[in-house]
Amino acid sequence: MGVTGLLLCGFLVAHLAGNLLLFMGAKPFNEYAHALHSQWELLAVAEFGLVVLFLAHVYLAVATTIGNYRARRDFYVLKQSKVPGRIIGANSWMFASGSVVLGFVILHLIDLRLGLRSSLQYLPETDLEAPFKNTLAAISDPISRVVYFVGVIVLGVHLSHGFASAFQSLGLNHPKYTPLIKIIGKIFGVIIAVGFASIVVFVPGMWR
Amino acid sequence: MNHAASKNLNLTLKIWRQAGPKQSGGLKTYQVSGISTDMSFLEMLDVLNEQLIASGEEPVAFDHDCREGICGTCGVVINGQAHGPDSGTTTCQLHMRRFHDGDTIVIEPWLAKAFPIVRDLIVDRSAFDRIIQAGGFVSVNTGNAPEANTTLVPHHVQQDAMNAAACIGCGACVASCKNASAMLFVSAKVSHLASLPQGQAERSKRVLNMVATMDAEHFGNCTNTGECEAACPAKIKLTNIAQLNREYMKAALLSKE
Repeated sequence: MGVTGLLLCGFLVAHLAGNLLLFMGAKPFNEYAHALHSQWELLAVAEFGLVVLFLAHVYLAVATTIGNYRARRDFYVLKQSKVPGRIIGANSWMFASGSVVLGFVILHLIDLRLGLRSSLQYLPETDLEAPFKNTLAAISDPISRVVYFVGVIVLGVHLSHGFASAFQSLGLNHPKYTPLIKIIGKIFGVIIAVGFASIVVFVPGMWR
Repeated sequence: MNHAASKNLNLTLKIWRQAGPKQSGGLKTYQVSGISTDMSFLEMLDVLNEQLIASGEEPVAFDHDCREGICGTCGVVINGQAHGPDSGTTTCQLHMRRFHDGDTIVIEPWLAKAFPIVRDLIVDRSAFDRIIQAGGFVSVNTGNAPEANTTLVPHHVQQDAMNAAACIGCGACVASCKNASAMLFVSAKVSHLASLPQGQAERSKRVLNMVATMDAEHFGNCTNTGECEAACPAKIKLTNIAQLNREYMKAALLSKE
């Protein structure tokens, strides 16, 4: 879980960096997209790697959650946390938040990787304006806009526990660095959530 | 002896009653009165049991032994918290002064697939014994004790080992974990012995065998929620789980055993 999660975090950084070009307008974004797509051999390897990582992450999540559910078996009539100040934490909702993110990713892939939404007007890939226009069409669609917004906010919550948790699972715990890793994990969650959410909130209004 | 702060409590207890492993159980309500705030939680249960015996009812079965927090025998979930509301204490060290007159207290046994209920508040924790049998030991030669100064252990290493060795094996970590994971228990034993020279001979085999036994006993996986650390009466730290993960990966990847 930890290894696949951290590698997927690396993808998020690259993906956010590329997508923030949407704020710069059509030309920089299209140039970036075409530069990316021109390296199709590398892109194919990267996409394959991403699919493997993502499926491995989902598989491990389902397998461990089923195992955990069976191990717990009985639930208390009354249960309270003993962690000071904790009422409800992101850590208890990793499977639920992950499921929401999975749903969002599926719609996102249908919208923009596979181009299967009949309600969206897609430009053909040969069109030089296609990357920007198609992205704008997807994030202007009311359903996608809401799902993307909710998806990335929940992703931020997921990361706020997941990032630091991955280090612990990999045995990387140190009195000097662990407090810092925990803070970085929270900040990383906020950056990813706010960064992607800002795109669906502001970009459709900027380039009508 | 009339303690100035001492007073008597009237309480409503909702206690899990279950006649045997196969029977179904449920919460049963009891009233106790005149409970001194100087009593321990177990003494309060003793008072209830005296009351039940006098009225011809079966007393509540609960585990206890030393009653001073070092044996790890006692342990119940009190109002949803393993060993009750205090941190770093066992059930026997919990005082009734932590409660107020008129309180309702819900008392449940440890719940986990690996800890089947024997009766009422008693669970079978022999899964922990089998994990220890799988590797929680060191092999030493018989005969004279070796010269102490031939094996030097730096103070901070000795402290880490001692802190991990403080685990009393009560099972509160498993009981409080949403996944019923035994990682804190196993990590305390593995860290303790891996830190010391005496534990080096079986270091790889120990972690592999103990983790395999832990999985075979149907404990859950660790999702780093930290509930175990907060519930642990011996204050075993989560850093031990990270060390267990390191020890396991090192042994799984590099050991020839």
